[in-house]
Amino acid sequence: MTETRFKSMKDLPARHLLGTGTALCSGCGGLEVLHETYDLLGEKTIFINAAGCMTLLSVYPYTPFEESWLYTSMASAPAGAQGIRDAFDILLAKGRLSPGEDLQTVVLTGDGAAYGMGLSATSGAIERNLDFLYLCYDNEGYGNTGQQTSAATPYGARTATSHGRRGNPGLKKDLFAIWAAHRPPYVATVVGAEPLDLARKIERAQKIRGPRLILALAPCPTGWGYNPEQTVEIGKLAVRTGIWPLKEFIDGKVVHTKIPKQRLPVTDYLQRQGRFAHLFTPKPNEPLLQEIQARVDAYWDELACSNQNTAD
Amino acid sequence: MRAMITGNQAAAWGARLAAIDYLPAFPITPQTEIIETIAQWVENGEFACRMVTLESEHSMITAAGAAAATGVRVFSATSSQGLLYAMEMLYTVAGWRAPFVLANVSRGLASPITLEPDHNDVLAARDCGFLQLHCATCQEVLDAVLIAYRLAEDAQVRLPVIVNLDGFYLSFTREPVQIPAIHQVSKFLPPFDSLGLKFRAGKPLSDAMAVLGGTPYSYFRYQNHLAAMRAVNAFTSSAKAFGDAFGRHYQAIEAYRCDDADVVFLMIGSFATKAKAAVDRLRKAGQSVGLVRPFLLRPFPVDDLRKILDGKRGVAVVDQNLSPGTGGILHKELAAHLYDVPDPRPVLVSFVGGLGGRDISNDEFYAMADVTREASEQGRPPPPRLLFTRQDWREMRKLQAIAHARQSGGAAP
Amino acid sequence: MYRIRFHGRGGQGMKTASRILGTAFFFEGFEVQDAPRYGAERRGAPIFAYVRADRKTIFERGVINNPGLIIVADDSLVGIPAAGVLHGIGTDTVVLIHSREHAEVWQNRLNLKGVLCILPATEEDGSLRTWRTIGAACSAAAAQLTGVVSWDAVVASLTEELSGLGGNWLAENLARAQWAYDQMSPFSGCVELETKETAALSTSVDWIDLPCEEAQWAAPAIHTGKTSEQAETGLWRTLRPVIDSERCKGCWWLCSTFCPDGAIQVDTAGRPQIDYAHCKGCLVCVAQCPAHAIDVHPEHSTE
Repeated sequence: MTETRFKSMKDLPARHLLGTGTALCSGCGGLEVLHETYDLLGEKTIFINAAGCMTLLSVYPYTPFEESWLYTSMASAPAGAQGIRDAFDILLAKGRLSPGEDLQTVVLTGDGAAYGMGLSATSGAIERNLDFLYLCYDNEGYGNTGQQTSAATPYGARTATSHGRRGNPGLKKDLFAIWAAHRPPYVATVVGAEPLDLARKIERAQKIRGPRLILALAPCPTGWGYNPEQTVEIGKLAVRTGIWPLKEFIDGKVVHTKIPKQRLPVTDYLQRQGRFAHLFTPKPNEPLLQEIQARVDAYWDELACSNQNTAD
Repeated sequence: MRAMITGNQAAAWGARLAAIDYLPAFPITPQTEIIETIAQWVENGEFACRMVTLESEHSMITAAGAAAATGVRVFSATSSQGLLYAMEMLYTVAGWRAPFVLANVSRGLASPITLEPDHNDVLAARDCGFLQLHCATCQEVLDAVLIAYRLAEDAQVRLPVIVNLDGFYLSFTREPVQIPAIHQVSKFLPPFDSLGLKFRAGKPLSDAMAVLGGTPYSYFRYQNHLAAMRAVNAFTSSAKAFGDAFGRHYQAIEAYRCDDADVVFLMIGSFATKAKAAVDRLRKAGQSVGLVRPFLLRPFPVDDLRKILDGKRGVAVVDQNLSPGTGGILHKELAAHLYDVPDPRPVLVSFVGGLGGRDISNDEFYAMADVTREASEQGRPPPPRLLFTRQDWREMRKLQAIAHARQSGGAAP
Repeated sequence: MYRIRFHGRGGQGMKTASRILGTAFFFEGFEVQDAPRYGAERRGAPIFAYVRADRKTIFERGVINNPGLIIVADDSLVGIPAAGVLHGIGTDTVVLIHSREHAEVWQNRLNLKGVLCILPATEEDGSLRTWRTIGAACSAAAAQLTGVVSWDAVVASLTEELSGLGGNWLAENLARAQWAYDQMSPFSGCVELETKETAALSTSVDWIDLPCEEAQWAAPAIHTGKTSEQAETGLWRTLRPVIDSERCKGCWWLCSTFCPDGAIQVDTAGRPQIDYAHCKGCLVCVAQCPAHAIDVHPEHSTE
C-alpha cells in the first residue's frame, strides 16, 4: 500500500467545504459521501452533475459549492466533463488560462445515470481516456423519483416498482467490473460510513490522471426505509456483512481494502431496512434470505480462492 | 481564393476561418464530410483545433455547450436523427446561453428512414432556443457560419446558432465558393470573449441549476426569447459588417424579383434556388412572380416579412416538411405572422413538396404559380396540396406490388 | 366550496391526509380535488397538500389561496414564514393545530379572527411510528370539522387508501383517526360551505414588460459560492442533538465527518459545534458518538 497522509481518523479534514442548507433528505448517505469527498478534493473542483437526487443540491439561487458546478442531463454528465476538460486543456495550451485557474473535473451522478442511462457516455469517456473523477452515489434505486427499481437495486429489495413478495427479481449490476473491463487507471468502492478508507482512496485517485470511478454506496433513509440516524450504521453493516466489498482496481488488479474478518450474517443488514421487511414478516423467507447469503458467500469464497492461487 | 467545394466543405471552411478551438463530433450521413474535412486539416497540421469524437450526438452537444461555457469557440455538426437524438441537450445548452455554431445537414426523419433531405429535422428544433440560418448555396454555407459566430457571440444575444444546409443538394454538391483570407475574417470576427459566463478556479460559478416555481422559470425562459428577438437587429448589423468586409450582402429575408410581383413563392433552403429558376422563366413568360426566402428563420424577421409581402396578392408556401395533423409548418407560421396585417392580405396557398428529397419540377413550380394566382383572384385558397403526381403514384404501386402490400385504394384516383 | 389545506413535514403523510379526506368527501357524494404540492422538499421539510370539495363541478385548480380550513400537523411550522401556514387566512378561516399547547396559548400567539381548534399531540418522539398516523388523524379531524363527512365515510376512505400498506398499519391509523374524529366533535360543522362569489373583488394586475438583460445575469447561474447557507434547513428539525461538553471527548472527526450536511464544524479549540441553523436533526451524530455525549431534545422544548 502506498504512503498515505490518512493514518487515522484524526487526519481527516476538520474544515468542511460543502455548504449546508441543501434540500437533500435528512440523513442522506449520498450527501455524506459528497461532503467527505469534497473536503479531500479541495475547492478547485468543478462538479458536472446528472439528473438525480443531487440535482437539488443547487436550486437557484442557492448553491452549496465553494467553486463551480454545471448541471447537464441524466445521460450526458461525462460528456459535459469532456467539454470542460477539453476546453481547459485548449486554454492552457494556448496560454489563455493560467494553471492556477484550472479546475479538476468531477462527474457527480446517482446510480440511475451511472448504471443505466449514462453508461454509454461513461464508457465513451473512459475509452477516450478523459481525465476525470466519477463520483457515483449509489442509493440502489431511482431515489429522486421515489425509489423505483434501477439497475443498481439489489436482489430481493422492495421498491416503488417492485412490490411483490420477492421484491426486485433482478441482480444488482456490477458497475465496478464494467468500469474495470475498460482498464481505466482507477476504480474504487467506498461508503461514507468508512471515511478513512474513503480518504485514502480519494487521495490515491487524485494522484492519478485519467478516468477514475469512486463508487459510493449511499444508504438512503427515505428509499430504504430506516430512521435517518442509522445511515452510518447501515453503511458499516453493508461492509461487515460483506454485501458491499470495499475494494479498488489499480494497475490492472483488484485489491480489497477492508476484508471483514468475521462476516456478519446478511440478515443483520437486511433486517434494519424497510425495503427488506417483506423478507422477514409475516415469517422469514428463508430460501430467499439463503440465496442472498449464498451470493455474498460465493463472492468472498471466490476471492479467497483466487488469493490462494495468487499466493501459490 | 475561389474554389470548387461541396457544401460540407464550405461548412468546414467556415469553422476553420472562424478559428474554432474545439470540435466535438459524431458521424452521420450526409454530414460526415464536414468533420472528416476538419479532421484531415488537423491531422495535416494545417489547422490547430481539438477534435473529439463522442459516442452520441446527445453527448456531442453536451460537450459543445460545456466547452463554450468554459470559454472556447466551438463548432459541431449533425443531421436528422442525430439532431433529434441531441434534442434534450439543444434546449439545455440554449438555456445555458452557451454560444456556438452547429451545422445541420438536413435529412428526412424516420420512419421510414431515408438519407435524402427535407426540413423536419431542423424545424423540430425550431423551439429549442437556438437561432437558425437556412442556406441556399455552398457560398452561403461558408458565409453563414461566419455570420453565425458574430451573432452567437454578440453580447446582446449569447445564444447558439444552427446553420442549416440541405443534404445532397448542398452537402455533396460542389460549387465555386469564394474562401476569404483568414486575416480578413479575424477582423470581422474578433476572438471569443465569454464575458462572465465561464468556469475558472477562484471565480465560483454554479451554472444551469434547477429552479423551483414558475416565476424564475418564466424569467429565464423569457430572457432566452428576448435575446433571440434581439438577434433580428444583431443579424442586420452582423450581415452589414459582413457585406462591408467581403462584398457579399445578406438580408434576413431574401426577396428575389419581388418588387412588382403579384404572386410569390415562399421557401427555405437550397430548393429555393429551383424556385428562382422558375421565377426567371415565368418572368420571361410575362408573369410577375417572385421568391421570398427567409435566411434567418429564428428569430423570425416578422417586420421584414410583412414589408416584403405588402401588396402581394398570393403566396405559394412550399413546405419541405410535414406536421402530421396540421400540414406544412411554414405555412402556419406565415399565416400567424400575417393575421394582424390589415386587408388586403395575400392569399396563402399551402404546398407540401420535396419530402425526403423528392424533386420539384419546373412544371410544378409553374402550376403552383397558376394555382396561387387563381386563388388570389378568387380570394380564397384551395386545400393544401402534396406535390405527388400520377407518375409518383405508379412508381409507388410498383414498389407495393413487390412488397405484397394490399392495394386498398384500387385504381389510380 | 370547501377549501382545505394540510401543512406538515415531508414524511408526515400530508399527501395521504389529503387523499383520505378527498376520498371521504367523494364517498359522501361530493365533487372533489385533492393534490400534494411537490418541491425540492425532503423528509422533515415543510410541505403542504390540499382538498377542494363541492356539491357542484369544481373549476378552480392549483394551490388554495383562500382556505376555509387550515390543518397544521406539526405546530413547529406555524412560526416558519417559508412554510406559509397562514397564507391567505381570512376572518372565516378555521385553523386546526396538532399541538401539545392549548388553544389559549395559540390564540394569544396568533390572534386569529376565526375558530381555532387544537388536536392534542401525544408523547411524540419524531419516530417513523408516530409520523405514520398523523396524516390519518388530521384528515379525520378535518372531516369532523366540516360536519358533512360521516365517520363511516372516513372508515371507508382509510380502508381504501391504507389497506395496501399491509401489517397493522390500517388498524393503527383507524384507531388514531377515530380518536381525532371524536376529539373534534364539539367543533363539528364550524367550517362553512363557502358560497360567496369573489370575482368582483379583483385587484388590478401590475404587469411589466420584461426587459432583456445581459446573458451572464439572465442565465440560471450563481456567481458566488455557498449561497445555500442562506437556506435554514434547521427548520426541518423536530429533534435537536445537543453536545454535552462535559462528556464530549473532543474526537470531532467522528461526528463532524459523519454529519451528512457538514453541519458540525470544529472550532479553534478543536471542539465540535453544531450549526443549528442548518442541522436537519437526522441524529447520525447521536448514533455515532462513542462517548454518548450527544443528547436528544424535542425541538419544542428548547424554544
